[in-house]
Amino acid sequence: MSVEIIMPKVDMVMETGTFVEWLKEEGEEVTKGEPLFVIITEKASIEIESPASGILGGLLAEKDDVIPVTEVIGYILEPSEEAPVPKQAQVQPEPSVEEMRPVTVESKPAQRSVHPETGLPAGDGKVRATPVARRLAYEMGIDLTHIEGRGPRGRIHKSDVLDFVARQPAGFPTQTVRYTPAKDLPIGFPEAAVRSVVPLTGPRRLIAERMAYSAATAPHFMLSLKVDMSEATRLRSNLQDRVMTQTGYKLSYTAILALATSWVLTRHPFLNASLNGDEIIQWEDIHLGIATSLEDSLIVPVIRNAQDKSLVEITGALGDLVERARNKHLAPSEMTGSTFTISNLGMFDIESFSAIINPPEAAILAVGKIVNKPSDVNGELLIKPMMNMTLSVDHRVVDGAGGARFLSDLKSVLENPYLLL
Amino acid sequence: MTDQNGREITYLEALREAMVEEMRRDETVFLIGEDVGRYGGAFGVSMGMLDEFGPERIRETPISEAAIAGAATGAALMGMRPIAEIMFMDFLTISMNQLVNQAAKIRFMFGGKAKIPLVLRTPAGSGTGAAAQHSQSLEAWFVHTPGIKVVAPATPYDAKGLLLASIRDNNPVLFMEHKLLYRTKGPVPEGEYTVPLGKATVSRSGRALSIIAYSIMVPRAMEAAEKLSAEGIEVEVVDLRSLKPLDNETIIQSVSKTGRVLIVHEAPKTGGFGGEVAAMIANSEAFDFLDAPISRLCGRDIPIPYNRELERATVPQVEDIISVARELALEGR
Repeated sequence: MSVEIIMPKVDMVMETGTFVEWLKEEGEEVTKGEPLFVIITEKASIEIESPASGILGGLLAEKDDVIPVTEVIGYILEPSEEAPVPKQAQVQPEPSVEEMRPVTVESKPAQRSVHPETGLPAGDGKVRATPVARRLAYEMGIDLTHIEGRGPRGRIHKSDVLDFVARQPAGFPTQTVRYTPAKDLPIGFPEAAVRSVVPLTGPRRLIAERMAYSAATAPHFMLSLKVDMSEATRLRSNLQDRVMTQTGYKLSYTAILALATSWVLTRHPFLNASLNGDEIIQWEDIHLGIATSLEDSLIVPVIRNAQDKSLVEITGALGDLVERARNKHLAPSEMTGSTFTISNLGMFDIESFSAIINPPEAAILAVGKIVNKPSDVNGELLIKPMMNMTLSVDHRVVDGAGGARFLSDLKSVLENPYLLL
Repeated sequence: MTDQNGREITYLEALREAMVEEMRRDETVFLIGEDVGRYGGAFGVSMGMLDEFGPERIRETPISEAAIAGAATGAALMGMRPIAEIMFMDFLTISMNQLVNQAAKIRFMFGGKAKIPLVLRTPAGSGTGAAAQHSQSLEAWFVHTPGIKVVAPATPYDAKGLLLASIRDNNPVLFMEHKLLYRTKGPVPEGEYTVPLGKATVSRSGRALSIIAYSIMVPRAMEAAEKLSAEGIEVEVVDLRSLKPLDNETIIQSVSKTGRVLIVHEAPKTGGFGGEVAAMIANSEAFDFLDAPISRLCGRDIPIPYNRELERATVPQVEDIISVARELALEGR
């Protein structure tokens, strides 16, 4: 008896998922629970485990297919069992995903079967194209069978693809992608050779939309100050070994910052808030988002109820979240629902920067690298480890003085971290 | 990088200068080989060194390459920094057991407790009418032996800088010197400087095609690039300098930029080092930028002939590089 593989609903608001790849081949034996395929939701790319053990067959999903949740995308079969005909193909008269693809073999120009100059067969309906030509065609959504290659035996080169694009009439989809950046404000692109064209999908698209929304709607103001991190540094080195033994993770400055921030936020609830139409919601819980850069995207794993957590608990939670985020094993629910966000770019040697608020939050804290700087201590010039913090605040929710008091309290706590214990 | 005074010396003088300067600085460095003393080495690289350093440090040996490699390995094991000269690369076959089974293995087999800071200098390649047993390029055998580094400088500047870096390296280094390069001149600073092992250099920048070369093929590729430039074809030339460790990054960057690559070496194509470079490129992120097949231009799969015309026809010459590079650069354009 076959088991259906469906596009899973991994998130409450998910309606479709973009298929990325099968991790197993058609006909391969799979075991229940082992990773089977990868999808991208709006929030992240996720590995999905096999629902059963058996032979993988009847695969319907291909790269970049956008598939409604619960739709069947393949089967786990018994040995020698045939894949059933997909249900929607039987019931619905609409063409299946497969049929909607551009027809390739049939629409091939006749001259492709024999090359005009060499007279050699062009290879059993296969398209000859260089790797870069294939990549460009894929990125621009061009069917290579429509292009005549100038290389040996009709091989399609990069210049053939670019010439083909240049010859297309206005309105050709690739030109829309390349030459109209904004609907209401037409800005021309430079005359420059294209290195690559990357589709705006998945997490990248979500970041683009949310950041543009935040920058356009929330009037930001920035406050910044320097913190003497001498005591925090001492605290970290004193507790390092103990925290490592208890959690298995290194005690990071980010963890100390998270602890201090949540402690101070409980005293400044208007910064742990969201604007909702004509009211401001002040949250009781402090769910701290920690902006984390992965290879291709930015995610914000969330430490829930940070106000109730100790330094050890925060280190454990943070270490676990970041580790699983790197391995792409983070559930979407673990990356959403923060009430305040911290972004630390110190590890990249950034000394100070300002961040865009992660909506619907009211503020975001941008933290720079700790740098030894000359500092005036009671008229004496001493070298101190100094750290720059910049708070971006939504002026609709909080005024300058409120933000300033919060930041100044946070500075005091970091300079006297024993208050936290 | 170049000398302020614009001093130009030959590749051969640059090698001698590296050895002399390092022997003055470090008394554990010594030279061992056949005829390296009074005769100054088969090609005169060590000419005059006996007068300054004496027979203790410029050691002449009987005609036994196995003894040279074995004695050098033993001396290195005991804390010396020997430079061994093997008169022709072809004779490395006789020292192979010492190099491959001893020098290359000892550091690993003793868990890093022993080290073999040994440099084996050897003239390689054809073009001198020395026939099949005195003209080979055997680098692929040594690249294939884990534990040995292989370098092949193309300019006097790199000859000095790489030789100093090789002497100071704690591993056996096979140092290939091309016979036809010995008399070539170039700017070389006085005093010490090193060229790091494992770092290629882009000798000429271009967008149409990358030529990956080392040793004698670098000046030939540069000459070809100059002529192609007159036709409007701008070729990039990457001088590997070290074959092992190989500077993958510089190669990948260059090929990603040009999308086309020609690998050129004198050694026979089959089983040659170019195949390794080609496979590395095909497996790298440069793959998606390739706009033509990865190509090789190498020596023919035959022993080097004695006849000068045939010898010339056996290994890539400037005109061969020009015609193959031109065709590859224009393919499908």
